[in-house]
Amino acid sequence: MKIELIVSGSCPFCLEAEKVWRAAAADHGFEFSVVDIVQPEGAALAQRLNLQTVPALLIGGKLRAVGVQSPEEALTLLLPARQEAHDRMQQMGFAFSRDNRWFILAAQAYLMLAGLGLLMNGSFLSDNAARPAFLHLFTLGFMLFMIYGLASHMLPRFTGNPIREGAWPWLQMGLAHCGVIGYVVGYLAGRHTLIVVGAVLTWLSLATFTFRVWPVLWPEEA
Amino acid sequence: MHKRNRLFVSIALVYGLLGGLIAIVRLIDPSLIPGNVPRAHGHIMLLGFILMTIYGIALHVLPRFGGFPLYSEQMADWQLYLANAGLPLMIAGWLGWRDMLVMAGGVLTYGAIVLFGLNMILTVRAGGRGRALHVQ
Repeated sequence: MKIELIVSGSCPFCLEAEKVWRAAAADHGFEFSVVDIVQPEGAALAQRLNLQTVPALLIGGKLRAVGVQSPEEALTLLLPARQEAHDRMQQMGFAFSRDNRWFILAAQAYLMLAGLGLLMNGSFLSDNAARPAFLHLFTLGFMLFMIYGLASHMLPRFTGNPIREGAWPWLQMGLAHCGVIGYVVGYLAGRHTLIVVGAVLTWLSLATFTFRVWPVLWPEEA
Repeated sequence: MHKRNRLFVSIALVYGLLGGLIAIVRLIDPSLIPGNVPRAHGHIMLLGFILMTIYGIALHVLPRFGGFPLYSEQMADWQLYLANAGLPLMIAGWLGWRDMLVMAGGVLTYGAIVLFGLNMILTVRAGGRGRALHVQ
C-alpha cells in the first residue's frame, strides 16, 4: 500500500511531516512518495480531493489526515493499512489448504491422462504428432501442479514466512488449468494459436506462483 | 532454511520462467532464437526448474526427516556452483551449435548430480553409525 504526502514549497511544517511519514513508511514497509501541490500531479490530486490545507496525507489513495502528525499518531493512522497488508499474507497450517489440495488432486488426474496418452502413443499407436501433447500433460499437468501444491505448502513451513494467499492461488490455478488444457487441445486439434495461448497462460501461472512464493524465500527485513 | 537451499529454489523459478519464455518465443516464430531450442528448453525445464527445486527442498528435508545432519555442507555448496556453471554452458552450446560447450556443461552438471547423490547416501547411511541428532 502506498503513502503519499502532498506538500507545498511555501509550507513551513511540510518538512517535519515528511520526516515523520518517511520514517513510519520505512519502519512498516510501505511505499512512500512526496507530491508537490504545484506540480500537475499534485494539483490534480488537490482538485480531486478538494484540498485546502497542506501537508495532506493519503494512504492507499484516500485522504486520511492533514497537518503534522507525531510518530504515535502516524502509527495509529497506519494500523488499518497494516492489518490489511497482514491479511493478504497467510501462514500455512499443518494440513493442506484447500488450494494446495486441489493442486495435488488435479496433478493426479493429469498424471493418469498423460500416462494413458503416452502409453497409446508409445505402444498402441505410432510415435505421432500428438506425443508433445501427452508429454506436456505429464510435465505441466502432473509435475508442475505437484510442485505448485507441495512447494506452496512446504516452503512457508520450512522458512517460517507467510505466503501470498487470497485470490492469488486461485488465479494461478485457473491460469494453469486453462494453459495446460489449451496447449493439449491445441496440439490434438492442430490449432497453433491455441497452443501458443495455452503456453502463455501456463507461463503466467508460473509467474504468479513465483510472485506468491518469492517473499517466502526472501522476506523483506522488518 | 539454509540460504543455499533458498537459492536453489529461487534459481529454479528463474530457470522455469526462462525456459517457458524460450518455448513461447519459439512457438510464435521459430527463427527468432537460433540453435537447438527444443533441446535447450527441455533441459532448462528439467535440469534448471525441476532438478534445482528438488535439490533445494531435498537438501532441507531429507536430513530432517532422517533426524541427522547433512553429511557435508561444502559438498552441497559445490553442488550449487557446479549445477549453475554447467547448465548455462549446456544452453550456450545448444543455442550456438557448440558440442564442446554442451559436453563441458554436461560434465559439470553431472558433477553436481554425483555430489548430491553421494551427500544424500552418506547422510542417510550415517544414521546407522550413530551420528549426532542435532539438525540446524
